[in-house]
Amino acid sequence: MRLLDAHSDLGPLPQVGRGFIDALERSGLAGRGGAGFSTATKWRAVGQRSRGDAVILVNGAEGEPQSKKDRVLMTAQPHLVLDGAFVAARVLRARRIVLYIGERHQAARAALARALERRPEPELRLVTFAAAPARYVAGAEAAAVHLVNEGFATPTTVPPYPFERGVDGAPTLVQNVETLAHVAVLARTGSLPGTMLLTFAGGVDHAGVVEAQVGTTIGDAVAMAGGPSSVPRAVLVGGYFGRWMRREEAWQLPLTPAAVLGCGVIGLLPEGRCPVCDTAEIMSYLAGESSAQCGPCFFGLRALADACTRIAEQGSNPGDLERLHRWAAEVRGRGACKHPDGAGIFLSSALSVFAADFAAHAPHVRWQSA
Amino acid sequence: MSNSVLWYATRGAGAVTIILLSCVVILGILSALRVQGESWPRFLTTGLHRNLALMTLVFLALHIVTAVVDTYTNLGWAAALIPFSSYYRTFWLGLGAIAFELLLAIVATSLVRAYIGHNMWRLIHWLTYTAWPVAVLHGLGTGTDTWSAWMLAITAACIAGVGAAIVLRLAAASRDPLATHRSAFRTAVERRDSR
Repeated sequence: MRLLDAHSDLGPLPQVGRGFIDALERSGLAGRGGAGFSTATKWRAVGQRSRGDAVILVNGAEGEPQSKKDRVLMTAQPHLVLDGAFVAARVLRARRIVLYIGERHQAARAALARALERRPEPELRLVTFAAAPARYVAGAEAAAVHLVNEGFATPTTVPPYPFERGVDGAPTLVQNVETLAHVAVLARTGSLPGTMLLTFAGGVDHAGVVEAQVGTTIGDAVAMAGGPSSVPRAVLVGGYFGRWMRREEAWQLPLTPAAVLGCGVIGLLPEGRCPVCDTAEIMSYLAGESSAQCGPCFFGLRALADACTRIAEQGSNPGDLERLHRWAAEVRGRGACKHPDGAGIFLSSALSVFAADFAAHAPHVRWQSA
Repeated sequence: MSNSVLWYATRGAGAVTIILLSCVVILGILSALRVQGESWPRFLTTGLHRNLALMTLVFLALHIVTAVVDTYTNLGWAAALIPFSSYYRTFWLGLGAIAFELLLAIVATSLVRAYIGHNMWRLIHWLTYTAWPVAVLHGLGTGTDTWSAWMLAITAACIAGVGAAIVLRLAAASRDPLATHRSAFRTAVERRDSR
């Protein structure tokens, strides 16, 4: 059963208990929010600590600008998302379910609200909505918990992790909506759909969301999306927290839900677009999305973005390129959350895949003596 | 003989402790001021602050243990741990016990800072401004060497150093360069609603 073709009325939700976590473990389901973390491990951690007080935080923030798959799923298949949340609530003995939906995803929110009205399950009483601000970091686990608790969608330091002390101080499962839809199918049919949702962006004929079979390659999925509009120079795999890859390398990449595919964004850079300019633009965006809590992130990403922009505009300072290489590595692990890490990995991949372009872009115009 | 070794150790460890503690306090204030220079990066301040704080506890433990196990004084563990329970110089030893326990709380909360939250940690860290003067008073009040020239010089240097750092701290406005950006981000994202 594929996610996006599922019937909207699948009958009553099967009764599930703690044994379901073993089924999850055997299925090998990995989270689809971007980190690819083992779902069974997460559920076990929350289940062990729950004394009937756990909280299920359904993460539909989808702050990644290029990603559309979560809101498409919530709009088209709200029942699957609710199924997954209710299964989690039963298995982990939850006291509260929070639907954390991006504030701009009105259609998704409305679809979930309509679907809720038709649910007979007692878990219905546990559900509340929270609006995720349209900021990049708002989808991070700790930021989601922070918003529900204090009203600020800024990441906090971990530990304590949400599974230890999350919403209301209770053990909290923060789970992406697509992951929960997979959980729903597993609970209803006994096996996973064996698919993953991808969002195509950039130079494809039909940009948008595709449900691709696990085990096929990105090249196959691009064909499903109508093929590339022109031969792409490179592919951004995993969105802004992902990495640039050469086309040949990306085309062969098998679709397995691991961290490399991140949140499932596949961006095709058409021939003729300047990769240095695009990289500079994305770095500026990421720098602007820092929540200004940690100096290395706030100042470091700004410095990286500025250096990228100087190179893109052909007015770089001597040594800018060398500094970019060094800083892209040094900024990692220097924040309370993974925002600087993601930006650093993204930039490092750009510097290696587009090494020739970056080199050709650095003529130090501004510093040449007349 | 062994008793006099213990007694010298107590006095020596006490003097070293107050020097280290004063350095830790000064470094803590300097880190809040974000002091840095050409050959002094900011992480050096915090790194030294942290490591010297742990070392302070080691010498403090030495100071206390040697004083207690010294059979000549016959203080007992209770006197070292329960403030004002000592038959001997009740008030001055009590100050020492208070300073010790405050420092223990400050270090312990720093080690588990991630678990207790930043605000709670900060609140307890402010107790340093109680612990340090209490420790200095303890030394002045009951130190065997208090009025010898070298100990007077040490105490005066400690008070001058910490005093100067505090004056600097009070004179400097909050220099957190992120404060405005952070509050701007928070105002922009603050939202909450429920069904």
